[in-house]
Amino acid sequence: MNGGFSEFFNRNDYFLITPAVLLALFGCGILLIDFLHDTRQKFMNALTALVGLSFVAYQLIRIQNQMDAVQMPELAGLNNSLLVDHFAIFFMLVCVAATFISVLISVRYMEIEHENHGEYYALMLFSLLGMYFMITGMDLVTLFIGLETMALSGYVLAGFLRGDKRSNEGAMKYFLLGAFSSGLLAFGFSLLYGISGSTNLQTIAQALGQRSSGDPLASLALLTTVTGLLFKVAAVPFHQWAPDAYEGAPTSITGFLSTGPKAAAFAFLMRILLVGLAPMRDSGWKPMLIAVAIVTMTVGNLAAVTQNNTKRLFAYSSISHVGYILLGLVAGNETGLKGIAVYILVYAFMNLGAFTVLVALRHGNVIGDEIEDLSGLFFRNPGAAVMMLIFLLSLAGIPPMAGFLGKYFIFLSLIETGHTGLAAFAVLYVAVSLYYYMRMTVMMFMREPVEREPLTLSPGIRIALGLTLAGTVIIGLYPEPIIQLATSAILR
Amino acid sequence: MDFFREHILSFTLFYPLVGVVLVLLPKKDEHVRWLANIWSFAGFLLSLPLVFWFDKNADGMQFQERVNWIPSIGATYHLGIDGISFLLIMLTTLLGFISILCSWSAITTRVKEYYAFFLLLQVGMLGVFMSLDFFLFYVFWEVMLVPMYFIIGIWGGPRKLYAAIKFFLYTLVGSVLMLLSILTLYYAYHTQFGQYTFDIIDLLRVNLPRHTQIWIFLGFFVGFAIKVPMFPFHTWLPDAHVEAPTAGSVILAGVLLKMGTYGFMRFALPLAPLGASDDRIVKLMVTLSLIGIVYGALVSLMQKDWKKLVAYSSVSHLGFCTLGIFAMNPNGLAGSLVQQINHGISTGALFLIVGIVYERRHTREISEYGGLSSIMPIYATLFMIVTMSSIGVPALNGFIGEFTILQGAFEANHLWAGIAVSGVVLGAAYMLWLYQRTMFGPLSNPKNQSLKDLNVRELAVLLPLIAWAFWIGLYPKPYFDILEKPVAKIVERVHPGYYAKAAAAEHATMEPQHPAQVASPPDASAEDHTAHAAAEAGAAK
Amino acid sequence: MAHEYIPIFIFLAVAGAFPIVTLIAAKLVRPESPFKEKLLPYECGIDPVSDARGRYTVRFYIVAILFVLFDVETVFLFPWAVRFRQLGMFGLAEMVVFLALLIVGYIWVWKKGALEWI
Repeated sequence: MNGGFSEFFNRNDYFLITPAVLLALFGCGILLIDFLHDTRQKFMNALTALVGLSFVAYQLIRIQNQMDAVQMPELAGLNNSLLVDHFAIFFMLVCVAATFISVLISVRYMEIEHENHGEYYALMLFSLLGMYFMITGMDLVTLFIGLETMALSGYVLAGFLRGDKRSNEGAMKYFLLGAFSSGLLAFGFSLLYGISGSTNLQTIAQALGQRSSGDPLASLALLTTVTGLLFKVAAVPFHQWAPDAYEGAPTSITGFLSTGPKAAAFAFLMRILLVGLAPMRDSGWKPMLIAVAIVTMTVGNLAAVTQNNTKRLFAYSSISHVGYILLGLVAGNETGLKGIAVYILVYAFMNLGAFTVLVALRHGNVIGDEIEDLSGLFFRNPGAAVMMLIFLLSLAGIPPMAGFLGKYFIFLSLIETGHTGLAAFAVLYVAVSLYYYMRMTVMMFMREPVEREPLTLSPGIRIALGLTLAGTVIIGLYPEPIIQLATSAILR
Repeated sequence: MDFFREHILSFTLFYPLVGVVLVLLPKKDEHVRWLANIWSFAGFLLSLPLVFWFDKNADGMQFQERVNWIPSIGATYHLGIDGISFLLIMLTTLLGFISILCSWSAITTRVKEYYAFFLLLQVGMLGVFMSLDFFLFYVFWEVMLVPMYFIIGIWGGPRKLYAAIKFFLYTLVGSVLMLLSILTLYYAYHTQFGQYTFDIIDLLRVNLPRHTQIWIFLGFFVGFAIKVPMFPFHTWLPDAHVEAPTAGSVILAGVLLKMGTYGFMRFALPLAPLGASDDRIVKLMVTLSLIGIVYGALVSLMQKDWKKLVAYSSVSHLGFCTLGIFAMNPNGLAGSLVQQINHGISTGALFLIVGIVYERRHTREISEYGGLSSIMPIYATLFMIVTMSSIGVPALNGFIGEFTILQGAFEANHLWAGIAVSGVVLGAAYMLWLYQRTMFGPLSNPKNQSLKDLNVRELAVLLPLIAWAFWIGLYPKPYFDILEKPVAKIVERVHPGYYAKAAAAEHATMEPQHPAQVASPPDASAEDHTAHAAAEAGAAK
Repeated sequence: MAHEYIPIFIFLAVAGAFPIVTLIAAKLVRPESPFKEKLLPYECGIDPVSDARGRYTVRFYIVAILFVLFDVETVFLFPWAVRFRQLGMFGLAEMVVFLALLIVGYIWVWKKGALEWI
């Protein structure tokens, strides 16, 4: 780590990419070790992945401690193409947690699907590797490569059920629209590079700041970049891939896609908008985001009402949540950004919790993705039903569940910045969302079960439920540490 | 004991929560029933010391408890009560026990969950009345929706799912808009005083222009008016009441609706005084209240369903309560709160009475009944007393409340009182007609001939309420004494200098040569006067 | 400013004219005796237009993808080789890491049986 190499990179550089190196090593390791396990030992792959994730989390905390030790708010590396700050650590930890839980709920599910290959877990780790560069990148090229690494792994994971038509269709749509949006994004990036002569976000911001507000080239760059980004977070009208991809993907992957990559995509979006495109906020992307947030909440919530497939329902619900999160960026003040951080963290817990229950429904021939499959869940497994209720209430934003906290900050930030009308609009959709979440509750508590036999939970699912429940309830009842964490993540 | 005394509110509040866990433990339904009943009765006893310890002469909040909860957003665990919340808390603990007792034979399926939800509901209701922190208040306000949703949705009538989700959605729409008002106040405090707090007592210091206050008031208005419910927002109420099990209706009418009126008195009026006292707002509120009174009564008059009749009568009675609040004088406000208690007692009792025959006959069609007085004499007698209480016959509680409200309304505007009186008349009409159709006449329906009169448990459910009705009817003075200070505070807040002006007016008529001699702060002489008048009127009967 | 672009415009004009001129010239010069097979586009002797449902083995694709992958590897190796001295030990180490990753992929492909024809 020194001597001849230091000509190009220094110790710090290597230190900052250790999480990515660990992920790559464990991912490749799983690919190779997989050949040594016979079919009954495949759960060992998941175990390896979990160990790897724990190491990554530990390493992230070490980086954070190092930052605090040298009293630097951020550590830049690799010639400023990487920037690790509290913000990045926060979002990366959310992604690691989401991946951890997704791995836990996958084991039994993929066994039932007869698709329990090592590649599955390796791809999840590779996807997380991409997320790391999406979150920490300060350079267009780093960001783009990170994005593609994440997205390509995601396409394969979405189509992992090779025998299932819906899985193939969903993955194909996801891939085609994903590639299209990456193209748009790359076009926008190239324009930004053309304007500023640099791929570094801070340099781009300076160059944009010197341009007049109506500059056509800058506007085009803004339009294409933001559109590409909105595709990635599945905001309306760039959301069409999400319901199909979510429906087709294995349920565990649907949970993963709607939390981990989404958190990373938002970190990516925030980095680009708040650093690179910061000079174009008021006349440029803010009005765009207001319009997009309004239609996103409208379409997401209204479309979710009519769904009978729970995975599609959650896809639309996740679209509507994107609308709320975008409102935090519209407000753009400290509360708003804090709100986004808190929202994304609690969303990861509550949404993965709900998906864990859906995954638990998978057995025999029942996929567990129709709303009817939930019927009478309370009689088959009261604990799972009550937990699902808690997750759903949290998703709807009913206090004292954690979900309320995210919405609280978003609404407060809108009021602080004088967007009262927008806030009134947003809160009314809370009631709509409650309606479709309660449809599932009706199924679970007020319908007789279709099949009588009690539902058993695998150990992985038990642990995942415990973690997500703790996240949802404890953060809801005592959010102080999380709020402080989010505050430190935002104040730069 | 001192520890208990200092934390009595927390004990009362979280005691039912322990019960939620405990009732899930026993295996047999019978054990669950016993446990839930004993537990909730003990909960009522636990709140009784408040009656002796409550100091009606103390200014401000009593039994305050304050612990930091989420310092970074300024939310605290802050409990405290004044006269207004004290009375409502006693109503809640009593009705909570009574509604659990009345479910003994009515609930036969999923007993465990039923009692667990009921106890959870109790926590939510008590929390709403005790919270002095908006964040805490909002948590309890929402928490209470969930168990009520399940109580209607699982143990309700044929259209239970529709009624349950309607109840939930309506209330939620109101409460999220209320949240915006809360956040606006919260942010205004931050800009004016540089720190975040949800503490209601601190938020009273916020100064806002009339325009903003009107918007804040409207946010509160939607939240609370849906809960009350005031006229255009009332449509969830008949559905919820008709479909809910008896105990659910009792709690819904007895306590949940009071949260709305309580919200007006505790939050909407004091926190947005300029908004609330704005001429247009007052006119709007009073108009809606008067429409509620007359409309509710007229719709009750034509109901064929016994329970629906009682439900619509609630709309009418709550119209009186909101009328009293927006008269914005001591008589109106104190009368409104007394009427809220009265409504809890008499409408609660009416729902119990419907429930008793419903359990025997499984129908609520009025035409199915008739002549019950001949085979159920005790039942008919108690029903008569409750009817009298509901229509405001002197010597019973209803009279005191309605009379005081009308007096308050009359002081504010003669026309208001004139219209409201028609509600009293119509109230007498629909209740007495209901009584006549069900209790008198020939016992023509053969299915009714073998009906049994009340058993001991049913008597035990009804008698406390009737005793309370007589107490308020015959000797209401303690109630008005308790309400004097808090009501004076609200009036001073909405109409600064109200008491000074009233006193000055009195002086001007009696001693015109000394106009400068102005009586200082809230001495609510007018109110004492009312209380005495009402008490005398009651005693005379 | 504008004169810098003149060569580009000349280039564009020539490029645009080239196909037109050659096509016209060919038309004028060549003898014409068309028949069906002659008019078909050349594609290794396979009928270029046929039923879309016609199948052939997926292994063609796998081989093609693997070829592209390892072809790109060579593309990366080449500039490194050119600048080998300047990059020194650092460049060597980086290239070893790069190759190691590819070798893991290669082993994986091999073990999965993707290199075996049937």
